[in-house]
Amino acid sequence: MTLQQIIMSLSRYWAERGCLVHQPWDAEIGAGTMHPETFLRVLGPAPWKAAYVQPSRRPADGRYGENPNRLYKHHQFQVILKPSPQEIQDVYLASLVALGIDPALHDVRFEEDNWESPTLGAWGIGWQVLLDGQEITQFTYFQQAGGIELAPISVEITYGLERIAMYLQNVDDVFDLEWGAGVRYRDVRREEEYQLSRYSFEQAGTDLHRDLFERYLAEGWKLLDDTERRSYLSAYDWCLKSSHAFNVLDARGAVSVSERAQLILKIRKLACAVASAYVAHQDGDAREGASG
Amino acid sequence: MAEFLLEIGTEEMPADWLPVLGEQLGRVFDAASSRERLVPREIDVAWTPRRLVLAARVLERQPDREERMFGPLLRMARGPAGQWTPAGLGFARKMGCPPEALEEAAKDGASEPYVSYMRKTDGQDASLILPALIAATLRGLAFPKRMNWDAWLDDGKGAFPFGRPIRWLLALLDGAVIPFRIHAVENGVRGRVINESGNVTRGHRFLPRRSAGRPVTVRSLTDLKRKLRARFVLLDPAEREARIRDALASHLARIHDDHGLIRTWRDLVEFPAVVFGAIPAEFQRLPGEVLEAVLVHHQKYIPIMNEGRAIARFAAVVNGDAGSEEIVRGMERVVVARLRDAAFFFEEDLKRPLEDRVKDLAGVVFHEGLGTYREKVERIIRLIDVMGPKMGLLTRQDHEGAREAARVCKADLTTLMVREFPELQGMMGGVYLRAQGTPRLDVAQAVQWHYHPLSIDADAPPFGRMHGGEIALFAALSVADKLDTLAGCFGLGLIPTGSSDPFGLRRAAQGVIRVLLDFWDVDAGEKRPSMRRLVMAAIEGHEVPTGRSREEIAADLERFLIERLRFMLVARGFPPDEVDAALGAREPDALDDPRECHLRLEALHRARSEAAEDFAHLAVAFKRAKNILGDGVHAAPDTSLYARDAERDLDAEVTRLSKVGSGYEERLKALSGLRGPVDRFFEEVLVMDEDPRIRENRLGLLARTLALFLRVADVASLTTAARKTEEEAR
Repeated sequence: MTLQQIIMSLSRYWAERGCLVHQPWDAEIGAGTMHPETFLRVLGPAPWKAAYVQPSRRPADGRYGENPNRLYKHHQFQVILKPSPQEIQDVYLASLVALGIDPALHDVRFEEDNWESPTLGAWGIGWQVLLDGQEITQFTYFQQAGGIELAPISVEITYGLERIAMYLQNVDDVFDLEWGAGVRYRDVRREEEYQLSRYSFEQAGTDLHRDLFERYLAEGWKLLDDTERRSYLSAYDWCLKSSHAFNVLDARGAVSVSERAQLILKIRKLACAVASAYVAHQDGDAREGASG
Repeated sequence: MAEFLLEIGTEEMPADWLPVLGEQLGRVFDAASSRERLVPREIDVAWTPRRLVLAARVLERQPDREERMFGPLLRMARGPAGQWTPAGLGFARKMGCPPEALEEAAKDGASEPYVSYMRKTDGQDASLILPALIAATLRGLAFPKRMNWDAWLDDGKGAFPFGRPIRWLLALLDGAVIPFRIHAVENGVRGRVINESGNVTRGHRFLPRRSAGRPVTVRSLTDLKRKLRARFVLLDPAEREARIRDALASHLARIHDDHGLIRTWRDLVEFPAVVFGAIPAEFQRLPGEVLEAVLVHHQKYIPIMNEGRAIARFAAVVNGDAGSEEIVRGMERVVVARLRDAAFFFEEDLKRPLEDRVKDLAGVVFHEGLGTYREKVERIIRLIDVMGPKMGLLTRQDHEGAREAARVCKADLTTLMVREFPELQGMMGGVYLRAQGTPRLDVAQAVQWHYHPLSIDADAPPFGRMHGGEIALFAALSVADKLDTLAGCFGLGLIPTGSSDPFGLRRAAQGVIRVLLDFWDVDAGEKRPSMRRLVMAAIEGHEVPTGRSREEIAADLERFLIERLRFMLVARGFPPDEVDAALGAREPDALDDPRECHLRLEALHRARSEAAEDFAHLAVAFKRAKNILGDGVHAAPDTSLYARDAERDLDAEVTRLSKVGSGYEERLKALSGLRGPVDRFFEEVLVMDEDPRIRENRLGLLARTLALFLRVADVASLTTAARKTEEEAR
């Protein structure tokens, strides 16, 4: 199965189970969780089901396209379901069958792996799903996001697309994957990996990124502080941008250990404030709906 | 009696929680069903990652109960003419009986009679009581981390967090379903039913291939076990472990299961099978520690050594009846990918001498408020200097070696390998020092192990990994590093509370204690370190924090260390009251010399097991003595002031025993002979005599008797006979 067939199969599978098939977030983010369709939608009581691919940038993981397993940018297939259905593990396992993986012939296991995102003030309980020892999915029951306790609980299923594809295609080097239409992963992404790695390890301007980091955050706070016109969605854009600027600084080796914690805290504060603004807005809508 | 069977079917529970949960399940149900007078017997628990199972024999019906209920005082309940007052009538109404049925009865400790009623309660059928017991049992399980899963129990408490979501419940009393429901929380209140108990279990997730997942009807524990076995679930953890050990049998000689993986494997799967994979020769050159980190920590695979002691293969557990080639190939691929990363890091790191990295530590922050690692290293060295020349705990050569080890011990923090595999910190320092040809292998060993001991078990690493002088270097460095962290964090007020211990201070404290207990071996005539003095020295290494004095910090840290010592000694199997008794001993006390405390405890444990009754008596007597003595200081008794034989006899016995024996056990055995004289003293002598001189003299004798024991154990801390028997009965 090619990478694009895997994406299509998962999209169809989850669409048939009532998910909105959404699109990737259109700016640099480190994981599908940061997409507003997850981070904000898990807040509050309204049900939500969505699935989407999210290219995820992790500058520190860049290896100049030389490592067969590590990438600056990999692809996640993200499913978010609120509330979490009773038989969700079985539903998930059936999605593997849809990809041609017969769990009875493999060793498929749910092994404890709780997830936490210090930048988002979010954490959850769950597992990594292992397929013959390879982690192919992170499966999490969200407990908190943006510092807010969640009710109802959402389940997040994050498939590692490259890993699953490598398994299905039986290749040892990610760049040997067949993406689709006879084109290899190498042809699509190798040069990009090289240049992105070179940029974040060698060329990224640290003064610029430090400056950007602070100004992105300031812009976010400016929007939240405008109580008349509180554009919290735009504020979240700036929050995500600050997070990426931080990741670049981190990969560049420009962040010391103690400073690291402080910068993460700054991002988290803004993320939590956005989450609160989102919830307040939903509550306002609900009240208006009730009175009208 | 009837068989109660409960199976809590869950999504996969973490393996390391399960043994504890199993034990709790039995204990919580035992307590709850005993309270309800169902007299539980033959409580049996078992588990797999997807189920917790409890079976017990209980009464089919609670016994009827008669209990005497007391109402108002008789004179309040009846008037002068014997007529019932409103208070009397009210009590009768509350008891649901005519006033004539009320009786007059004496109440303990009261001089006047009360009205009372012998209330009879009919016992209820167990089947009616069990639903509440199931709720209490589910609520009573304590998880290291609970999750909210939108569940609700109708037990008056509402929201029902648990370790993982419950997906089915099997609850049977002699085969009949005990009804029990779990609801969803919807909009903050009770919603639809999400779990309803039944007589149905589920087998393995995927096996047998075609019929997996189908519900299976069950009548009893035996039936459950049999049917699960046929569906690839071995309910009994011991059986799963045996199956794993069988599969590993021919390799056991070439396996070090230091990390207890066999035990973990047992609880990771429902039907274990073991498969073996190969490690390509190119990676066998990597240090064993690196291979082990990849295999053990990241994949939970057990390394297997070849004839040349190189790690050439690995064993892995799979959840099924057999492992296919394809499964093994998948596992090997993961291992190779990881090892390829590790090999790259190793080559890169070796390009630069570790020595050279020491100066980089000035740029690595240890902890906000506690400076960089360079400063930490300087403090560790100063602490080692205290141990060396000042306290005379290290020979000149060891002192110099320990200093050298301290200087380089943190340098590996800047290596790629440790950044990628943080659990290899220290380990890599040792590996790189050797690979780069250090002449001092003892220094490399000390660096390698200085984060240890990580476990409190006496035979856990680094036990048996070092010899001779290496141990002294390791012990000094390990203790100095940990005490510096503890002193610094306590100075900042970062004291662990409840389950929150983000800086691992409990483990650090236990590490210090374990080094002092298990690794600071001294030959005759050599000194053992005073933990109290080391604590003070460590605190002095840090700047004085604002608002707190060093003495306050020391007091907090000392209390914390004693608490951890107590925890460790109990964990090593000593009864808590004996631990408290040993911790109460003086000169030297446990803070000065934890190892001495351990020796006393062992002696007490043996002596008491041979003379349980004597010690129970002495405990009673000494509790009394302690109460009488209070905190006062008493002069030595004057024999000429004794008025009674019981005093003279006790004095003579105390004098005789104060000269007996040098070993703790010998002394304790002799001291247990004090039971007679002490008992007689209390029977025949009134301590609080009217004459203050005689009174003070008697107090002095008691104090002297107590002091005799306090050199070995504070016997008053021991539980007395009655409680002990009660505990055994439970």
